[in-house]
This record gives sequence, structure tokens and C-alpha cells, in this order.
Amino acid sequence: MFEDAAVALEILFQPMRLLALFSGMVAGMVFGMLPGLGGVAAVSILLPFIYLMDSFSGLALLLGAISVVYTADTITSVLIGAPGSPASAPTAIEGHALAKQGEAARALGVGFLASMVGGILGAIILLVAIPVAGPIVLSLGTPELFMFAVVGLYFAASMVSQNRIKGLAAACFGLLLGVVGPAPAAADFRFTFGQAYLLDGFSLTIVALGLFGIAEVIAMLASGGGISADRVALTHWGAGFSDFWRRRWLVLRSAIIGVFGGFVPAVGASASTWIAYAHSMRSAKDKSRFGHGEIRGIAAAEGANNATIISDLVPTLLFSVPGGPAAAIFLGALYSFGYYPGPRMVNENPDLMFLIVWSVALTSVVGAMVCFAITPLIARLTQIRFALIAAPLLLVMIVGAYQATNTIGDISMLITLGAIGWMMKHAGWPRAPVLVGYVLATPMEQYFWLTTQLHGWSWLSRPGVLIIAAIIVVPLIVGLYRRWRDGRGDILPVIEEEGLSLQAVSVAHVERKWVELVLAALIVLAFVYAFYEMLGFAAVSRLMPTMAIVPGLAFSVFVLIGRIRRMFDPEKTAAGEAFNEPVFLFALIGYGVLVWAIGFNIATVILLAWMLFYCAGMKAVTGIAYGALIFAGIHGLMVLMKIQPPLGVLLAIV
Amino acid sequence: MKRRKTPLAAALAGIALFSMTAASALAQDYYAGKTITVVVPFSQGGATYVSAKFLEPFLEKHIPGNPDIEVVDRPGGGSILGANWFAQNGKPDGMTILFTTSSTANPYVLGKKEVEYDLAKMRVAYSHPFGAVAYVSPDTGIAKPEDILNAKKPLIYGGIAAAASDLPGLLSFEVLKLDIKSVLGFPGRGPIRLAFERGETNLDYQFTPVYLTQVKQLIDAGKAIPLWSGGSVSADGSVTERDPVNKDVPSVYEVYKTLYNEEPSGQAWDAFQAIAAVTYTFGLTGYMPEGTPDDVVAIFDKAIADINADPEFQTASMEVTGGAKLVPGSVAEPLIKKALQPSPELKKYLIDLLTSKYDVKF
Repeated sequence: MFEDAAVALEILFQPMRLLALFSGMVAGMVFGMLPGLGGVAAVSILLPFIYLMDSFSGLALLLGAISVVYTADTITSVLIGAPGSPASAPTAIEGHALAKQGEAARALGVGFLASMVGGILGAIILLVAIPVAGPIVLSLGTPELFMFAVVGLYFAASMVSQNRIKGLAAACFGLLLGVVGPAPAAADFRFTFGQAYLLDGFSLTIVALGLFGIAEVIAMLASGGGISADRVALTHWGAGFSDFWRRRWLVLRSAIIGVFGGFVPAVGASASTWIAYAHSMRSAKDKSRFGHGEIRGIAAAEGANNATIISDLVPTLLFSVPGGPAAAIFLGALYSFGYYPGPRMVNENPDLMFLIVWSVALTSVVGAMVCFAITPLIARLTQIRFALIAAPLLLVMIVGAYQATNTIGDISMLITLGAIGWMMKHAGWPRAPVLVGYVLATPMEQYFWLTTQLHGWSWLSRPGVLIIAAIIVVPLIVGLYRRWRDGRGDILPVIEEEGLSLQAVSVAHVERKWVELVLAALIVLAFVYAFYEMLGFAAVSRLMPTMAIVPGLAFSVFVLIGRIRRMFDPEKTAAGEAFNEPVFLFALIGYGVLVWAIGFNIATVILLAWMLFYCAGMKAVTGIAYGALIFAGIHGLMVLMKIQPPLGVLLAIV
Repeated sequence: MKRRKTPLAAALAGIALFSMTAASALAQDYYAGKTITVVVPFSQGGATYVSAKFLEPFLEKHIPGNPDIEVVDRPGGGSILGANWFAQNGKPDGMTILFTTSSTANPYVLGKKEVEYDLAKMRVAYSHPFGAVAYVSPDTGIAKPEDILNAKKPLIYGGIAAAASDLPGLLSFEVLKLDIKSVLGFPGRGPIRLAFERGETNLDYQFTPVYLTQVKQLIDAGKAIPLWSGGSVSADGSVTERDPVNKDVPSVYEVYKTLYNEEPSGQAWDAFQAIAAVTYTFGLTGYMPEGTPDDVVAIFDKAIADINADPEFQTASMEVTGGAKLVPGSVAEPLIKKALQPSPELKKYLIDLLTSKYDVKF
């Protein structure tokens, strides 16, 4: 075994392979940082290049990218507050709050180090994959996979909300987004409105970008100034290190939770990160800072999400079943080099196994160090006027969305979801539960259906199911017991009182009653319509929509009524400063219509002119130079990703 | 081992000889310096994408003029979005190829309303077989294919969706008149195999590359018993041949004859043959837009014959697919067209079966 490890290290330490590994790492970091272009985009862009290399170099290139994506996206989550995936949402919530308080360095330091620990633990798990991890993966049957998804959603819905009803309504809305597309049980296509575009449902990238990214870009454009009123100071790296060291066991426990997330195909990081986040809250004595910038939350989330993306490779290598989307592409690469993963490959190609382990471990460490090194440079970007950064950022998001299916549907979906995300932000609805609900809806439905088909009701007594259920039930019972012992009548669990909210930080001072009213009404309408259409589904396709619609409708009606009642209550309406953000939202919608009508290129030139001259107030010469640079950069990105920009329908007719 | 030459192989040899003389004159520089775009309507890293990348260097080497082959993925709608795009944008000049599977063909055969492509009018550049083998868990008491009617416990089959790539497997159960509980709705073939290993299901079909690399190990370890393969199309279009890659496994046709002592017939058998042809024998097919001239098809015919004769390809294909050979368009096209256009009665049979037994909506 040690001999194999040494041989693999020798294989890896050839200049070309190291170059490949670190090129992959750099690509992974860049794509991890660009909002919406996470691991899947990085790996798919690198994929054509691996065919130019020998097998070890090609695989090292991909592994370099996979290992650092969740390390690098910490930077975007913390500095901009736009997470690339549900698994980074806790980091965005806590880290961005810290950044606004001038503590970005602490947040980033802990995030990088926790990611590194997660990556190294993932590598160790790969090392002991055959004797240890294999049996665990095989013991997780469909009932356990279902329970894992349920637990993840429970935490996401119940934790991030000042107003629990809004949190639950948001989670239900997320589930509703998630059930769009093919029903797993009976080839029913739900809520597709006859559009081929919706046959596969929404793309994760577009939902994540729409809900978080667009709203942040609008805020940037509108503010003209900075993300935070104060500049993001990066002064106390030392505090980050000591914070990390104090939380080392929390990080390790979270990484272990993350490893289990990797064993569970499809559910993966979205659930494990939230479970780790919940764990960090449970184990904290003082819960008051959660939602307002709690370093423990970052430590737990980053430890877990990086461990998950690495241990995603365990089912990939042992059973040829990818644990996540990036691992799926990696599996394709293994195939094309003639490796057929399975227990046999692990025995027959120990050098390859060790190569993978070394690559992951090495890039986890080097990646974290590079992140430390480049963060001051990135942070300097946040001192530039944000309207200037918003322009390239918005276009990168649009390209990121457009790579989903290369149709105009991607762009209109991005802007539609962006409008919803923007309204949620300003109406005090938490967005993370929507994202997690959307991601987990499909596996929950799929595994519930398979579970009941394969096991009847006997699955409820499986030990694995009971253990996972205990994660929810035991703390609830303990909490109830404590309350009963302390003689308090309140039976709701502890978490609610602590009042977590993304919005508590970002828009605490603005309660836009009209936005709230419109949003609540729209969501009620969406649920009512969905209820009506659902009546036409086959019985087996109705289950999950029902679970989303019935409670969702009740919660959202409750929110709507509450809003209407307070409409007539003049004292509670916030005075606030001029609220100009809707203008920017409508401009964005206008851009979407222009792209549809006259094509991407002309519409983008108009958008750039508006953003640079009107929003950012640039001078003619610099504005044109900067705009041309962005335009060229975006086209370069599209060439790289083999995307052809949409042509306008009006131009096509002419 | 006796090497019986199948009628299809004989036809291939004949066509190859013929096309070598016909195409060589015009072809030399048609593709020189050009780029052929191969559109794969699935994600990168999927089996179809990997297969397209596998063929890429051989096509570049053997198509006269050595064009660049560029493989582009256009996923969405279970391949329907990419195929729709191809139907609208592909030009009949041999520069774009749609490389796809039965996931594109079956919705076309069934006349699903999202389909905007006319597959039966397209030209076929080349095709690659994509066989599948059924296997069962030993704890069902089944030791050989003939035992299938006497299983000791209920047979549970795991699948993805009835109207897609599970269709030929489900139809094979109809042909053999088996009573099987089909649990559809798995997220992929890999998770189905894991569920089989965990004992949650006990009957499974896997496509050849996975069968050879994953399931064979289970069989060697005594954890799985091979049953039958889908079979392969003979020169007259009937699915009566053994799968050329899995010659040691009987075909559905043979198992039927052993079980019932008669030739299979009737609607179930006809439906199975049509769907099995586009799923297995012509499982991976490169289509070119309607109206692509015969000259271009002939260039591909010659290139495919050269690829099949290339020892490098033979070695590589032995590793990946157990030695499956490419089928030139001129052989595949008439058989694919026949399979893609079943009679109205057959179409009705398929739609009735899917609606009543598998809750599919049309």
C-alpha cells in the first residue's frame, strides 16, 4: 500500500502532471468565484482539454478543479453574498454579515481553513474507500436516502427565518419549483405549460443565480456605491486562524457529516451542509449571533461542503455511480480513458486510486493557501464602485445561465426568478429554503416513491431510517422536555426564538410593503394555479406537489392576510430613503425582451451603455474602453464554453 | 469456437466492398480543412457523449480529407431539445451530425407532442450497437433463463421511465409473458444497479459497456445470474440474432422458443422488434439532416468500413464494448426507417400498453 502511494506520488510529481493539476486548480478557483459558474461549469470547460493529455494528467486537471471550487466560492459568498449553490448559502448568510461588519478576513480565514480540512478528510475517506466506505454506501438503501433529504430540508426551512411561516412557505415554494418537469413515478410532465424548455424542469444554476445573484446585482447597480457602506477590511487574518483553531472539532465533525453527504447520490451537499450548520447551532451556547454573522456557521458549512464534493467520488469510484454532477463528468472522463470504476478498478489500479487521493489532498492545501494570497486582491475589487463590477458580473451570470440549454428560455427564466428573488429579499422572505426545497424535491419524491414501492411500510422500522430520523426527533424531544421542566408553556423548538434571517442583516431597515403585498399575492396565485393543474395528474404524480401546495397555500395565505391587515396600519410603514431599485429590475426585464427581439449582441451593447454611463457615470472614453473589454471578455467566455449567443427573433424575420 | 457469419455481417461486407469503389472518386477533398460538428443531445460525461468522444479520433483519421470533429453537447428535455434544435438548424451538407440514442427515437415513434424532428426522414451516417443483458439475483431460485417462470419470490425490476430506454426491456417481459413488478422512477441506471446489489430489486437490464465492466464481476462472484440479451437485427429486419458482443447469452427470441416451443408472434413481439432495433442494434446512431446527398453518405460508408478494419479501433472497441463494430449508414438506414415507422396498429398497441400499465400520458 505504501509502495503504491509512493509510486502514485512519483507519477503525480512529473512537471506536466503537476502543471495540469494546478491549471485545473486555477480554473476551479476562477469558476468557483464567478457567481453561478461552480464545479460543473469548471469541469465541463476543462473536459475537452483532457483529451489532449495522458490519462493521469487529464484526471489530475479535473481533480484540481473539483477540489477547490467550494474553497474559492467562499470568497464570492462572503464578499458579495451570492452563493453559487445551496451548499454555500450558510456561508453567504453568516460570512456576508461578517463582511459588512468589517470582519471579512475572519470569515474568509475560517472558511478557507475549514474547506481545507474538509478536503483532506475527503481524501482520507477515499484512501480507505474499499474496506470502510464501500459497505456504508451499500447499506444506505432508498429509505435512508429519502430520510437524508427530509432532514436537510427540515433544517433549511426551519432555521433561516425570522418569520417561521415565511420560511415554511418559502420551502414549499421551492418544492413547487422542484417538481416542475418530469414526474419520477409516472411519466407525467408537470407544470410545463406545453414548453419543451420546461421538460427537464429548472436548472440549478439558474435558480441559484436568479434567487440570489440578480437581487444582489440590482442592489449594486442601485447603490452605485459599495456592497457595504464601509470598505471590506482585511486586517485580522490572525483572528481567522485562532477562530479556526477554537472551532477545530466543530470543523471536523462537520466534515464527517459532509462525508456522509457524499455517499448519498443526488441529495449530497445541499442536505449535509445544512445538517452541519444546524449542528453548529445546536452545539453553540450563545445562539444570538446566528444570522448576524456567526463564525461557527461558516466553519461548519465550509467543512461540510468541501468534504461532500470529495466524498462524492467514493460512490463514483467504487460503484460507477456519481455522487454529484461534477463527479458525473469525472466518471465520463474515467470512461474515456478506459478506466471502469468499481471495486475491481480500485484493486487493479492502485496507482490511479492514490493519484486521485494525492491530487485531492494536495490541491486542498495549496488551494486554501492560494485563496489566502489572492483575497486581498479580490477585496480591492470591492472598493471599486459597485456599479462598475455589476456590469461584468451580470453578464457572467447571464452566460452562466445560458449554458444550461443554450436557449432564450434560460435568460427569461433567470430574469423571472431574479424578479422573484429580488421581491423575496425586500419582502423579508428567506431565499435559502427555496433553493434547498427546489434541489431536494426531486430526490425526495423519487426516493419516497421507490421506498414505498420496494419496501411497503416496513421501511419505517429500518435502523438506518430510525438513526437519521433521530437527528430531528431527539433534539425536539430534548427541547420539549427542557421547556416542560422549566415550566414554560411554549412548545415550539428553541431555534425559532433565535430569529435567523438573511434579511435581518441586509434589509432590516426597509420593509417594502408593496413588494411584500405583490409577492405574497403572486405566490398565493402560483399555489392556487398549481393546485388546479395538479388535479389533472395521475395519482402517483400528485403526492409531492400536494406536499408542497397544500401547506404552501395555507402559509402564503396567512402571510398575505397579515400583510393586508397591516396595510391599514400607517404607523408601521417605514419611511426610509428613496427606493429606486424597481427601476433597475424593470431595466433588466427590458434587457431580456431586447435579447429575445434583437439578439444578444445589440441588446448587450445597450445594456452596457446604460450600466456604465447611466448607473456608474463613467466618462465617455474610459466607459467605451471598459465596455469593449467586458464585451470581448464575455465573447471569449462564450467561445470557451462553445456557446452561440442568441439571435433576435425580429432580426431573424428580417 | 465456431464463428458463424451473421446475415447482417455479410451484408456489411458486401456494402463495404461496393462503397469503396463508389465513393473513392469524389470524396477525397470534400471534407479537407472542414469541421464536422457532432451534436450530442445529452450532458457531457454521459454515455452518449463519451461514445461520441471515443469515435472522434477514428472518424478524423478515416474520413478522407481528415476533417476536424467537434463534439458539442446540447442537453435538455431528455434529448428532445437537442434534437429539435438539430432539426431546425442542421444543413444537409454533411457538416452536422446528431449523435443520439433511443431516447430520441422512442418519443418520435410514440408521437409525443414535444417532438419537432422527423427522424425517419433523416439520413444515417453511421450507427453503433448498444446491446443490453438481463440478469437476476440468485436468491430468486433462478439458475438459468428457462427458470424464469418458476421464480421462488416476486420478481422486481427497477427502471427509469417506461416510455424511454426501459421500453424494450418492458416489452421483452410482455413477449415472454412474465409477471414482473416494475418499479419505475429511478434517477439512473447506476442507482438501479446499486439497488440490485442491495437486494431492493432482483431483476435488471444493463447496457453492454456496464454489463461487461460491472455486472460480469457480480456474475463471477455468484451474486447475479445472466438471463438473456435483447438480441440483434438480422438482415430481414427481425430481431432473432444473438447480440454479437454477448454471444454466450441467449436472445429473447431463443428464450421464448425454449419456453413455449413456438415462434414468437403477435403485437407484443412486433412492438418489441421495432423498439429493440432502435434501442439495441442501432442504439447509438449518427443522423444527418433530411436531404443530405448520397455522396456524403457514401463517404461515411467508406470511412466506417476503414474504421472497422483499423486494428487500433478493434483493440479499443474490444476493451470498451466487447468488440462491437460500427454499422454503415447504407445498411442501417433502411432498417432504422422501418423501425421508426411502425404500423398504426402497432403504435396503438404501444400507446395502449403504456397508458394502461405504466400510467404514461399522451
